[in-house]
Amino acid sequence: MSAARIVAVLRREFQEIVKSRGLLLAIFLPPLFITLIPLIAVGVLGRAIGSEPGGGDAREFARILELMPELRSWSVGEVAMFVILQQFLTFFLMMPLIISLSIAAQSIVGEKQNKSLEPLLATPIRTGELLFAKSLTAMLPALLATWLAFVIFIVAARFLIESDRVFDALLNPKWLVAMLALAPLLALLSVSIAVVLSSRVNDSRAVQQIGGFVVLPIVLVGVAQTTGLFLLNATTFLLGAVIMGVIDVLVLRLGVRLFQREKILTQWK
Amino acid sequence: MIETQNLTKTFDKFTAVENLNLNVERGEIFAFLGPNGAGKTTTMRMLACLVAPTSGSATVAGHRVGQDDDAIRSTIGILTEAPGLYEKLNAVQNLDFFARLYGLDTATREKQIKRYLEILGLWERRAEPVGGFSKGMKQKLSIARALLHEPQVVFLDEPTSALDPESAKVVRDFIAELKSEGRTIFLCTHNLDEADRLADHIGVMKKRLIQVDTPENLRRKLYGQRVMVRVREMTDAQMRALQQLNFARDVLRNGTTFSIALADPPNMTPLVVHALVAAGAAVQEVREERASLEEVYLDLIGTEART
Repeated sequence: MSAARIVAVLRREFQEIVKSRGLLLAIFLPPLFITLIPLIAVGVLGRAIGSEPGGGDAREFARILELMPELRSWSVGEVAMFVILQQFLTFFLMMPLIISLSIAAQSIVGEKQNKSLEPLLATPIRTGELLFAKSLTAMLPALLATWLAFVIFIVAARFLIESDRVFDALLNPKWLVAMLALAPLLALLSVSIAVVLSSRVNDSRAVQQIGGFVVLPIVLVGVAQTTGLFLLNATTFLLGAVIMGVIDVLVLRLGVRLFQREKILTQWK
Repeated sequence: MIETQNLTKTFDKFTAVENLNLNVERGEIFAFLGPNGAGKTTTMRMLACLVAPTSGSATVAGHRVGQDDDAIRSTIGILTEAPGLYEKLNAVQNLDFFARLYGLDTATREKQIKRYLEILGLWERRAEPVGGFSKGMKQKLSIARALLHEPQVVFLDEPTSALDPESAKVVRDFIAELKSEGRTIFLCTHNLDEADRLADHIGVMKKRLIQVDTPENLRRKLYGQRVMVRVREMTDAQMRALQQLNFARDVLRNGTTFSIALADPPNMTPLVVHALVAAGAAVQEVREERASLEEVYLDLIGTEART
């Protein structure tokens, strides 16, 4: 592996990203929305919640306390805020998927459409170096945006959440594990999916649309959490990371098999 | 400089190139002619280590294809059929990227980029995004990209396609200049006139190599050498005089013009003229007939299609 060649590809990719308005929006909009919406929710909830729940809400409240007995001493407002923020935090995991998929789709299918892969592959660059550089191109902005948005969210939440108990619970190490371990695995999954789809699709938007289904499991996890099917804890995150690791290995292997000079030039249609 | 032995490439059941035997000498321009799908680009891709041969062997600049691929890629420059430039980047950024991939240091990169952009008339437009360039400008930039690292062997796939005559001439002159610098040039082209003007040797290809020779020898092999003599008034006596010359083969007449096949035109033409004058002809014009490369090419490809 030549670091100089990898850096050369990264440099060129970022030069192109900076000049691509659509891609810049795809990088900056998801973090903006995913960070702002929970912060607005925190601000609104802080004032709105306080009364005792009744009817169906009471049953729901009882169920949450059953799942998280450690919250029994909390007020209704604190529990509600904690549950909703937990819910929003799940969406931070969608960021590495969405952003890296957008970049990888543009980076790989873009080259395919532009017919720039052949002259590139005729240089001394190795296919492994090229794939690695393209993976970094897609993953680095996605992860930086995710982590930055998460930090901004946590810092802003500190000022908006009055209850120390809620904030301390929000800073649960399981979220740090999710951000540091699960987020890179999710970003890598997007890159691998983009490579696999790029071998068959000629439009970066098609890659994004087809690859977009990859966010469904995250949405389902969020829904399952809301409906009380299960709650995310350290064990579920660990399990999720292991499953994601296995899926990553499988899809990445398929991607690497497809990302070979001869296949790119003769079989990618 | 380039040598292939029984080089073959098959894709599933389709044979793109079959038992190709080639030898391209250092410093020559070798033009590869053939119809679409003849295997020209596949051959070029095998020699550039972009696709692996199914069987046979090849060496480029002393490096073996399939074994020293990294060395070959560092030694060659390639102009692919499509320019394949990064349209959002400007000319300098495009070239700088490739120069970095070839491992050129900063000073060399700057020097080479300036050199080739100036030679190809793009220096003034260096800061503009390539997406706004004309086809000709993109083609020139792609040629510059192929040469930044001063490769010994240059593969050019249709270098003047889609160029206006003026730009095509600039590119052709530039190719001739590259040859004068001692580089070996492997030129895939449909432009027979270009091949005729530039190439030292021409290979006519249709899955396999049909014929390789100099442009002149290809004409001779196929059409022999003919001399055309135009007279003011043609008579039977003149025809008889020509038929009596045992070295004058295949005498054809068309209006006031004789066309005569000769084995050695420089020495035999005066004898032909002398015989005609003796037979009372008023000779108005004498010249050697040259078949065009197009005729040679179409004949070779047509013969191959019939066999």
